[in-house]
Amino acid sequence: MPLSGTFLADLERIVGPEGLVRSAEGRLVYECDMHTFYKGAPDAVALPTQAEEVVAIVNLCRRERVPIVPRGSGTGLIGGAMAPLGGVMIGTNRMDRILEIDLTNRCATVQPGLINLSLTRAVATHGYFFAPDPSSQMVSSIGGNVATNAGGPHCLKYGITTNHVLGVELVTGTGELVRLGGKAADRPGYDLVGVAVGSEGTFGIVTAATVRLLHVAEAVKTILASFTAIEDASEAVSAIIATGIVPAALEMLDAVMIRAINEGTGAGYPKDAAAVLLIELDGPAAEVKAQGERAARICWARGALEVRVARDDAERALLWKGRKEAAGAVGRLAPTYLLQDAVVPRSKLPAIMRELIAIGARHRVQIANVFHAGDGNLHPLILYDDRVPEELERAKAANEELLLACIAMGGTVTGEHGIGLDKAKNLPFQYADADLNFMYRLRRAFDPDGIMNPGKLLPSHPACGEGFRPARPRVPEGAWI
Amino acid sequence: MPAAARSIGEALVTIAGREEVQDDDRARAAAAVDGQLPRWVVRPASIDQLGRIVALAHDAGLAVVPRGGGSALELGHPPARVDVLVDLSGLDQVLEYNPDDLTITVQAGITAGTLAALLAPRRQFLALDPPGAAARTLGGMTATNASGPLRARYGTMRDLLLGVRFVQADGVVTWGGSKVVKSVSGYDVPKLMVGALGTLGVLGELTLRLHPLPDAEGSWLVLLASAEAAQAFVERVIASPLQPSRIEFFNDRALRSVPVEAAAAGVALSIGSVAEAVREQGERLGAMAKVDGARIVPLPGAFWSRAARASTSEGNGAVLHVASLPSRLAETERAIGDAVRTAAPRGEVWISASAALGTFRVRVGNASAAETAVATTRLRARVIELAGSVVIVRGPAELRKTVDPWGPVEAGPFALMRALKDEFDAKRVLNPGRFVGGL
Repeated sequence: MPLSGTFLADLERIVGPEGLVRSAEGRLVYECDMHTFYKGAPDAVALPTQAEEVVAIVNLCRRERVPIVPRGSGTGLIGGAMAPLGGVMIGTNRMDRILEIDLTNRCATVQPGLINLSLTRAVATHGYFFAPDPSSQMVSSIGGNVATNAGGPHCLKYGITTNHVLGVELVTGTGELVRLGGKAADRPGYDLVGVAVGSEGTFGIVTAATVRLLHVAEAVKTILASFTAIEDASEAVSAIIATGIVPAALEMLDAVMIRAINEGTGAGYPKDAAAVLLIELDGPAAEVKAQGERAARICWARGALEVRVARDDAERALLWKGRKEAAGAVGRLAPTYLLQDAVVPRSKLPAIMRELIAIGARHRVQIANVFHAGDGNLHPLILYDDRVPEELERAKAANEELLLACIAMGGTVTGEHGIGLDKAKNLPFQYADADLNFMYRLRRAFDPDGIMNPGKLLPSHPACGEGFRPARPRVPEGAWI
Repeated sequence: MPAAARSIGEALVTIAGREEVQDDDRARAAAAVDGQLPRWVVRPASIDQLGRIVALAHDAGLAVVPRGGGSALELGHPPARVDVLVDLSGLDQVLEYNPDDLTITVQAGITAGTLAALLAPRRQFLALDPPGAAARTLGGMTATNASGPLRARYGTMRDLLLGVRFVQADGVVTWGGSKVVKSVSGYDVPKLMVGALGTLGVLGELTLRLHPLPDAEGSWLVLLASAEAAQAFVERVIASPLQPSRIEFFNDRALRSVPVEAAAAGVALSIGSVAEAVREQGERLGAMAKVDGARIVPLPGAFWSRAARASTSEGNGAVLHVASLPSRLAETERAIGDAVRTAAPRGEVWISASAALGTFRVRVGNASAAETAVATTRLRARVIELAGSVVIVRGPAELRKTVDPWGPVEAGPFALMRALKDEFDAKRVLNPGRFVGGL
């Protein structure tokens, strides 16, 4: 439903002409995030510069029952920052300032549009960094990281975004500007920050965030070990963790991925390697040295073909090169792919890899794997050629089977990308009606009118979620009431 | 189909069995919360029974008060009503331990001591060490967001709780979160349950993240001339490459009761790592102390449990949890001392603080409830200026009736909290009146 002239005039009064995108071409840029399957352009894009403008926009939309879709840099992978129902998109790009850096208390307060890496760059000279490091960190916004509770390769040791958010300023679905949490720990009351992080814009829009800064580790050691079997590599992962080492990152590439990378940039992985394990340790120098030696011994003991230890930053960058180029490298194998983000318990890695190969064979699709082995977070890339009829359908079928296999092993449908529009339909794999019903009601407390990012995160239901009606326990019959 | 129950007591017996439902005066008196006697004390043997008990209470308009180890019953307002006290000590099973994944799923009534004994042979542990942890239940530690010195490195329950099964106010058994260490599937419901004092759901089952026990651990105490010197030392440690597991500040009174050597202030640190790194970091710590002209002494591992005991009140004393900022460590320490001394001339204050986080555990002794109430109010006025908070975590009902045990919550967040309570417990079945703002 197109927006009325009066509505657009009101919107323009709030953000000014330079803060409003109305043209069809202008809006096209905002029709999808990095999951390009899902397209839906908003009817207008508002680019506010301060929280008060966001409040005014939400109040305007609420009055007219117009849906709102928040968007940071649009680098999400789940169809979260697009507008399936049209409405107003609120882009945070113009709210990109660092409001305060407080090194004594190891935190910073930033606007949501600030690019993730910009914060680390701003504090790096003092020896600090912002820990969440999604692969998109050069372009993704901290507001987006907060909305999706983003992870990254180094969250094995440092935790995901939620472990680093101390407070948020949020404009809720009712247009209230609330400050949740803050620099001081242990606020009395419910942990509203904890539920707001990862709510994917369905509770409101974050207009500022106070995040933790960490001190840069004294030493870093990066080790690359290659194996002839993915089982051996998986066992090495378990053995490393079991010995008490918590690596900063523990990444794995499978045979298909190794081949794709070797054909491209020439990261120089051994040709007959079926699995490459990238281990990064950081911490006090003495600890890193001892643990590095121990991790290398474990890899040799599990039959590693070779174990390389980076001697300096240049070598370290080289070892990471293949991993960082993985998604691009598969372009050599197939024109396009579906990217999955499911999780299994770490001990189930060998089992899920076997299952994955079987699923690929069953649906006649090739699957390349690059994943966060340390926490069991898989990123299979299901390759397909969109010019071949039905290949997409087969890829989708393999994708769904894979998700179900992960759930059956005790896993979850998403480890770090989020739900968005893409996986809302998959949530019932993992949750019973009672659990989903609880989430609907949780959302209602923040956004009673359902105008914030509708259709995302929770599966739509004929009765707007009320259909996920849990069965109540039976109480003894009788005259006791 | 069970026979028709003629009374609520009978209905409870039908659900939990005769042995597990008590309504005699002695049992009721023993289970009193702030002097209020429950009408029934029920001990469910399964989460299914727990769900049916809560459903019954909900339909009958009764208040449910959950109890784990009973060690934190003095947190919060005295309850508005106590009808059914649900004793969760029967839900003490380990449901699924996956050592290779460093995760465990347990029932909420298991104690931290039992869990620690179970994990020790695999050299793993739950990195949460509030005072008295051994006898406390994990459900209770979750509901009260209890923490100890290890939070400096490992965080609090919000960082360790992966999944939770709970019973909603209408008895519906609900699951939130996941059983793996990394998941963003749907809203982070476990966060909502941490520190909620069971007011949004009765906790039945928890999936927790475990950590490997370090190869070696060393502990040291740095003795300093003042809180200011202690803060400066802590700031230097934090800005250094050292990775302590604990950085705990102690005031003079606390140091005397542990007991270790006397000093105006002390900072105790522990470092867990491989043996050579522990030794090496210990040496560096010594060098840093030397620069400050401070004395450093090695501590036995048992120091930490002794320190925990010393910070726990006996009899009618009170314990406050004060949250401020690391940059205000000395200022807050002084504010605490001033507030207590002004209100209670004979008062004594034991202070231990997670120095890197600015959270203080304050034990007040030799002060009447009225004096502690005045001290709390004074202190709150000071700490709120610093955007912090003062919560009474232990103290007589008289104290918590005189002064709000939680302190104020800003209007905006409180409106959301009330909206959540209205949504999930409109009939005020779960722990009514005890949480912030009387929720």
